[in-house]
Amino acid sequence: MNSFSFRPCFAFGVLRWPAGRTVLTAVSLCALCAVSRASDPVDDVAGLIRKYCVECHRSPDPRGELDLATVLQGPHDEFFAVWEDVADRLRHREMPPADAVQPAEAERRAVLDWYSTSYVPSLKPRPGSMRPRRLSAVEYRNTMRSLFGFDLEVSVIEAEQTVSEKSLVLKLLPTEPPGRSGFRNDTHTAPLTTVLWEQYSYLADAAIAEMFSSDRRPELLKRLRVSDEADVESDDAEAFLQEFVQRAFRRSLTSEQMAPFVQLAGESAPLSEMQIAMKRILMAPQFLYRGFLSDHSRPGPQRVDAWELAERLSYFLWADMPDAELFEVAATGELADFNELRRQINRMVDSPSSITLATDFAHQWLTLGEVEKNNVEIPQAEALRSQPRDFMHDLFVSDRPLTELIDSRTAFVNPFTRGYYGDDARQMTKYRKAAGIEVEIVPNQKIVLEQTAERGGILTMPGILAMNQGPIIRGVWILERILGEELPEPPPNVGQVPPPAAGETLTFRERFEQHRSNSTCAVCHDRIDPIGFSLQRYEGARYAAESTADTSGRLPSGETFADFQELKRILVTSQRRRVIRNIVNQTLSYAISRRPAAGDQAAIEQITDQLTNNAGTYRELLFQVASSMPFQQTDIPEVAPISEEGDQ
Amino acid sequence: MESLNRRAVLRGAAGAALPLPFLNLMQSRAADQDSPPPMRFLTLFKPNGVHPPSWNISGGAEHDFRMSPLMQPFSKHREDLLILDNMGDFGFSSHANSTRRFLSGHHQNTRTASIDQLIADHIRGDTPHRSLELTTEGLFPNQIGCSYISYDQQGAPIPRESDPQLVFDRLFRSPLNDPGQRQSMRSLLDRVGEDARTLQRRAGREDRETLDQYLSVVRDTEKRLQTLQSRGAVINPRELVRPERPANLNEQVETMIDLICLALWTDSTRCATYMLGNSNSRMIFDFLGIKKQHHYLSHFFRNFSRENLDSLLKISLWHMQKFDYLLTRLKSFSNQHGTLLDHTLVLYGSGMGHSDNHTVTRIPIVLAGGRGLIRTGRYVRYSENQPLCRLHLSLLHKFGIESDSYAQNSTPLAGLDASDYAAWQDQAFASWIREEGGKLVVRGRLRMSDNLDEAKLFYVDVDGAESVLVEVSFNDFHHFNVAYHCGTAVTLTGTGPTGERKITKIESLESLFGHRPGDAPG
Repeated sequence: MNSFSFRPCFAFGVLRWPAGRTVLTAVSLCALCAVSRASDPVDDVAGLIRKYCVECHRSPDPRGELDLATVLQGPHDEFFAVWEDVADRLRHREMPPADAVQPAEAERRAVLDWYSTSYVPSLKPRPGSMRPRRLSAVEYRNTMRSLFGFDLEVSVIEAEQTVSEKSLVLKLLPTEPPGRSGFRNDTHTAPLTTVLWEQYSYLADAAIAEMFSSDRRPELLKRLRVSDEADVESDDAEAFLQEFVQRAFRRSLTSEQMAPFVQLAGESAPLSEMQIAMKRILMAPQFLYRGFLSDHSRPGPQRVDAWELAERLSYFLWADMPDAELFEVAATGELADFNELRRQINRMVDSPSSITLATDFAHQWLTLGEVEKNNVEIPQAEALRSQPRDFMHDLFVSDRPLTELIDSRTAFVNPFTRGYYGDDARQMTKYRKAAGIEVEIVPNQKIVLEQTAERGGILTMPGILAMNQGPIIRGVWILERILGEELPEPPPNVGQVPPPAAGETLTFRERFEQHRSNSTCAVCHDRIDPIGFSLQRYEGARYAAESTADTSGRLPSGETFADFQELKRILVTSQRRRVIRNIVNQTLSYAISRRPAAGDQAAIEQITDQLTNNAGTYRELLFQVASSMPFQQTDIPEVAPISEEGDQ
Repeated sequence: MESLNRRAVLRGAAGAALPLPFLNLMQSRAADQDSPPPMRFLTLFKPNGVHPPSWNISGGAEHDFRMSPLMQPFSKHREDLLILDNMGDFGFSSHANSTRRFLSGHHQNTRTASIDQLIADHIRGDTPHRSLELTTEGLFPNQIGCSYISYDQQGAPIPRESDPQLVFDRLFRSPLNDPGQRQSMRSLLDRVGEDARTLQRRAGREDRETLDQYLSVVRDTEKRLQTLQSRGAVINPRELVRPERPANLNEQVETMIDLICLALWTDSTRCATYMLGNSNSRMIFDFLGIKKQHHYLSHFFRNFSRENLDSLLKISLWHMQKFDYLLTRLKSFSNQHGTLLDHTLVLYGSGMGHSDNHTVTRIPIVLAGGRGLIRTGRYVRYSENQPLCRLHLSLLHKFGIESDSYAQNSTPLAGLDASDYAAWQDQAFASWIREEGGKLVVRGRLRMSDNLDEAKLFYVDVDGAESVLVEVSFNDFHHFNVAYHCGTAVTLTGTGPTGERKITKIESLESLFGHRPGDAPG
């Protein structure tokens, strides 16, 4: 932190909230700096930082080596990471520390709103650098499957209404926690451990053993291009290994790079030496991680090379390594052409492998794993779980407009969910189960919602409604997952909404309205409650047509609505850009498997505008993300000098 | 080594794999041991009860009995078996409760360990694996208790494993017990360490941090390997051939049974429980040509058709064949102290009796082996139903666990060894039939029809007279728990068509010996 340049030329006292909501860029900040209007401290972000933070965070001995007094002087673009951290800590109430004077809720909110609505959109585009990251468990499973041509399976008999983990990989590898991006493919915070190492080692052995098993022996000999095991020569094994290591490392390698992995010692039979070599490849950092093989000889911002682009694309759309065709267009350089990129995206989305966009990406984005926690009964639980999965998959495959996430006339229904769809369910072909089968999981059928106005879109899907019980959880979920707001943690000791006093006959809703008269609560609940209460006619997954619950509300923007249908209209019209911006932000975060940084913000705004103004669809979204600077470019750091103690 | 990998492999009828030379090797090696082998405990669980007339031994005495049709697959082991009859004490039971009770004495005994775990703790000695908990299928979340028979000290279910390769690797391929594995891991660590250092030479600062982390894991793994020492293993695990992936349920089960026997013989563990399926199993036995679910078929009264019953019996017969396979395998390992079966107490059985109305008496329970602990070659029928917790308490005692009670029961089960169980035996009784005020009253032994086309028909046998036919609705069958009384002496009052020896409506049904079943659910 002592490398911060000291630029005493401007003050920070003009950042204002909420009056006028001027979008203040770093540049406009400088221009305005002469006009000091440090009036109301609530309006003054810099003033707030000075008031609550700088006392500890300043020279000569800044707490946590963070000198906010210097940071306040800019340049603000440079300090994105610091501002992001400040916003995070304010949001999670980690700062100011509990024993220090606390800002009022409105003050906390003011800094956060300045950060997201003024500061972030002002940042200059710049490629980020991708740190090598370990394959997630799902990616590792898929990659091993593609590499070997078979799945590593657990021997377990499958039966209806019975849950079994068929994948040996997913059985043995722990599920990563979500990284800073919110997605599990951002594995930076889930380091390699000795336990993981042993599981990788075991899985590599299992895959190699399976490849050499008697059942697969003919297949193996074919790959080695020999007709009998005894005929296998070192050359055959080396030729096999050359292909294997390049696919495993997901790029073409020089013979020098390949040498340690493919040269056999010639001390024992080629087949057994080949197994040892394969194990080394599968345990190498180049296989277990992405991003170790970029060329550091030419540091600086640049386009990623063709292999890395192919790899980024396949892990984005498939959570898997590139297939032969993708390798091919990487090798010829065609992938650099955006027309070819679009063609590949279309081909890949059409492939069954793109199901991971629903099962991995949308599953995490929309917290679909929570659906199962409310209902474990099979097949009812499976019916609720499969609806959002099939719906999200369809949005990508059928290339639907982005806002159909919220407003759609398509539903995926099976006999266990048909009761939610009234007469529309008559479109389904009749289901008959075979004799002697008590209950079974039944695939969904796609129907068009012609009469069921209360359904359609993710927000009123039975499993989503059942998973989010109560207006507050529903409101928070929609704000965070659909509108992309990052709400602060509730303040400590804020307590519960008090129970009604004796003799008082307030409704649930009225009690909450009373609670919002407390300004500390109102900061967030003014946003949460109107949205949450709009869904009060949905009792769990069921729509209660007879309900007379008050579902009207008023958004902080001033817009009012009478019921959920009207709110939905607002979401897809006046709030449309916000919804799309969130879709873009979530998709980009997953695509680059890291939290977007300062330099990525411009791309998010630009893609959002593009999709908002041109009735963007899901395939267009994938193309826009894959052709954006954060996806296409990287900032390669210089080779760091080797330190003496680093390694023995 | 190379020759070992190419070893001939003994394949059973269905293709399970044991290395052939291994059997001889074991006999010669183990013969060197002077001290008598330890006693092991092994449980094989059969899901979904039975079709009672096919399972039950009708009549018969302790040493003079005829094995029932379902027992035929393992009748050749008669001298090694102790068949218990009239075990269990509840009227009816859910699948989940009856499964918990199978090794835990009572379905409400949910805060303590099942007996296999208590026994495992007591007998494990210095074996590398305390116990194995095995199964064939996944979890049944609708009634999770159907998926477990083994419970830990807190009464929490113990995860079970279904994959024979995983079990084999855990037993015989871990660096812990395999010096060969340690050697190859060490040279692998050398190589990948080199690879990581090569990358480090041209990495940026952050990349280097990740590589440092990778290298520190490599170093920690190396250090851990150095601390591992082989125990005085009986065998070189490298000489064992890793089983191949089973193609169907039958191969999977036979391979797993092979592994259980190997694990016991090599003293890798002394205790194992194996579920042939979940209770309530929805499994489809397609390899037997059956297309309907096991649980559906097990409700043979309600879903009655001759075809369904035949399918159910085929499945049950397959379960019995696996019991035979287990016993045969255990006997195939031997040294001067006897066979592995002699030194293993095997408990085989199910959680319920009649599989349609979930009667929890006359539960199939067979003990085998366990020389010195139990007296085999016998059929022991108790006149009054015996709670499973009595058996469990006795088994704890047999294994040297001094416990006054188990699952709130303090009466051990008499008759497992030479002990006297006369108090529990049937007495001679007179049978007769009377007409009283338009009702038929009959005393005799109640049984289900032996004719498989008559799964809903019962008879009361009367000495020197034609048996009385009982053909009642499901409601009566269930209400009076006819299945519970089967095999025992009863007094039955009912009505039927005039002039026929037939009862179509039951008025009362009572056992002559023992107490009433009551209608306690459990």
